Amino acid sequence: MPHHEFECSSCIPERKSHAVVKGEGEDLTSCLPEGHLLTIPGTISERGCAYCGAKHVIGTPMKDAIHMSHGPVGCTYDTWHTKRYISDNDNFQLKYTYATDMKESHVVFGGGDLLKKNIIEAFKAHPTINRMTVYQTCASALIGDDMEAIARDVLKEMPDKDIFVCNSPGFAGPSQSGGHHKINIAWIHEKVGTVEPKITSDYVINYVGDYNIQGDCEIMCDYFKRMGIQVLSSFTGNGSYDELRSMHGAHLNVLECARSAEYICNELRVKYGIPRLDIDGFGFEPLSDSLMKVARFFGLEDRAQAIIDEETARWKPELDWYKKRLTGVKVCLWPGGSKLWHWANVIHEEMGVEVVSLYTKFGHQGDMEKGVARAQPGTLAIDDPNELEGIEAMDKLKPDVIFTGMRPGEVAKKRRVQYLNAHAYHNGPYKGYEGWVRFARDIYNAAFSPIHQLSGIDISRDPIATDKGFMTRKMISDVKLIPEEANVEGERPYTGDFDCVTKLRGKVYDPELSRNHEQAAV
Amino acid sequence: MSDEKVNMQIQSTQSARIMQMEDYIMKHCLWQFHSRSWDRERQNEGVLSKTKQLLCDEEVAKETPEDRCYWVDALSLTEAFRARFSWFAEMDKESIKVLIEKLKERIDYVTISGSLNKELTVARY
Repeated sequence: MPHHEFECSSCIPERKSHAVVKGEGEDLTSCLPEGHLLTIPGTISERGCAYCGAKHVIGTPMKDAIHMSHGPVGCTYDTWHTKRYISDNDNFQLKYTYATDMKESHVVFGGGDLLKKNIIEAFKAHPTINRMTVYQTCASALIGDDMEAIARDVLKEMPDKDIFVCNSPGFAGPSQSGGHHKINIAWIHEKVGTVEPKITSDYVINYVGDYNIQGDCEIMCDYFKRMGIQVLSSFTGNGSYDELRSMHGAHLNVLECARSAEYICNELRVKYGIPRLDIDGFGFEPLSDSLMKVARFFGLEDRAQAIIDEETARWKPELDWYKKRLTGVKVCLWPGGSKLWHWANVIHEEMGVEVVSLYTKFGHQGDMEKGVARAQPGTLAIDDPNELEGIEAMDKLKPDVIFTGMRPGEVAKKRRVQYLNAHAYHNGPYKGYEGWVRFARDIYNAAFSPIHQLSGIDISRDPIATDKGFMTRKMISDVKLIPEEANVEGERPYTGDFDCVTKLRGKVYDPELSRNHEQAAV
Repeated sequence: MSDEKVNMQIQSTQSARIMQMEDYIMKHCLWQFHSRSWDRERQNEGVLSKTKQLLCDEEVAKETPEDRCYWVDALSLTEAFRARFSWFAEMDKESIKVLIEKLKERIDYVTISGSLNKELTVARY
């Protein structure tokens, strides 16, 4: 096994099995790090907790519910300023944050009354919102507040409301992944099947495992709707509480993010017989293949092909412009979750980018299997890295850019490594054809930013040239290209709109596309 | 050339082809990576048996929703194999069947029996 030992972690021998270098000829029978285990004491993990996984990752993208944390106000940290799972109802779930604000006295005497008071207050403050999810935290779990009983009590007084109780305190799993598991299973057992769906098409899917980061989900749903497919629910990005209660009415589950949402798809398969189709929404070829697969399931191949042809013709020349300039750029792919494997191969194939390292903070071994399988030989794969290991990897691998979250991203900047936000994006969405070009543009802007040259100057010591102007990105990136390569007719940098999502809202789709005339004729 | 040498050459060609197909599956597909061994066994069997039928121009069952899922993944794989690996055009149907059966053995080994993923045998999700 090609394990990798970090110098900074040599005093913690257990860490060695959590990092591997994929050698030539290595496969998943010889090269896979340990994963999804409790963090080793002393390693200072950068993971989130199970409450974070349940609330901030899975639950809160649900747009038309009040999301109430029963615990200290600090547990609500990850809200509008860190998350970008937008919604088409004016971002209700991002703008308003609720916590019962438990104090020491509630821990001693119980927080049940406090929770009831807060639920009623919140519903009264938003009379048009009739749905709520209440999340347990470590504090309320440890004292054993019976949140289900309190919710039932409230519903006797407010029968037009509905409340989902999510028992996933911070300590409920080795990482936020434990919270993904708990909310998925709880939702299917308690809520799915409690509302009968309104079916408007002969082709109905649940789009599962997309959290609408900067509009990703809306982009994908636009493609489905253009094919005449009804997206009964989107789990949970831009998703509606009641639509998610009616998931049992779909013909097909289209799954995007494996681990976080695999549970609910498998349960829907067992309980309701709805099959699961795994897709990739990133990259021209994987996306085209995915759209065609969904279309084929329903017999709508021509419609998928029309979308693929139209979108490819519009956006491929722009992707090609970036690919020429990005070829050979070295990146660390440290996204934390599923983008580890969504991007590992396709950014290499479609943008020429070299992935030198990938990591996951909370992924299962199954997630890392996909990442390692798709990575090029020589890639360093790390499970649950800490800050020191991240720094050591950057110093050793010398990437041009790292794709990661805000906290490791800020560390990278201080090492003069450009950082691109892989969780919330810089200028997303990154899904869809246009989104993929936006991603390429963001990588390009990071890799060739003139700030690299300036950031290396110590103004207290180094001489500063006063006879030279600043270089532009293009002056740096095009220096390796011959003019014939650099100036191909039709190829150009991104020409889309600053906002490519809002215009999709309220778009009208031909209702005739939703009808299966062949079926009707029979 | 002796029979032994011919056999070795056939096996070497077969191994090289399986390696190419495995590389494609690992880099472009997702169906082989469900979370548990029992699920991976179903998936590998469902998709690769239909791929074999499609490559041999045989009838493929797609009446049930689950069969349709296997069929769409198999069709996508078949198209990719035919587009990328020109040697498929030169093969007869019996040889294709043998090749895909060997491919399935290899995928089962990489994703199930030889996999280092310790969660594959966990009884609950």
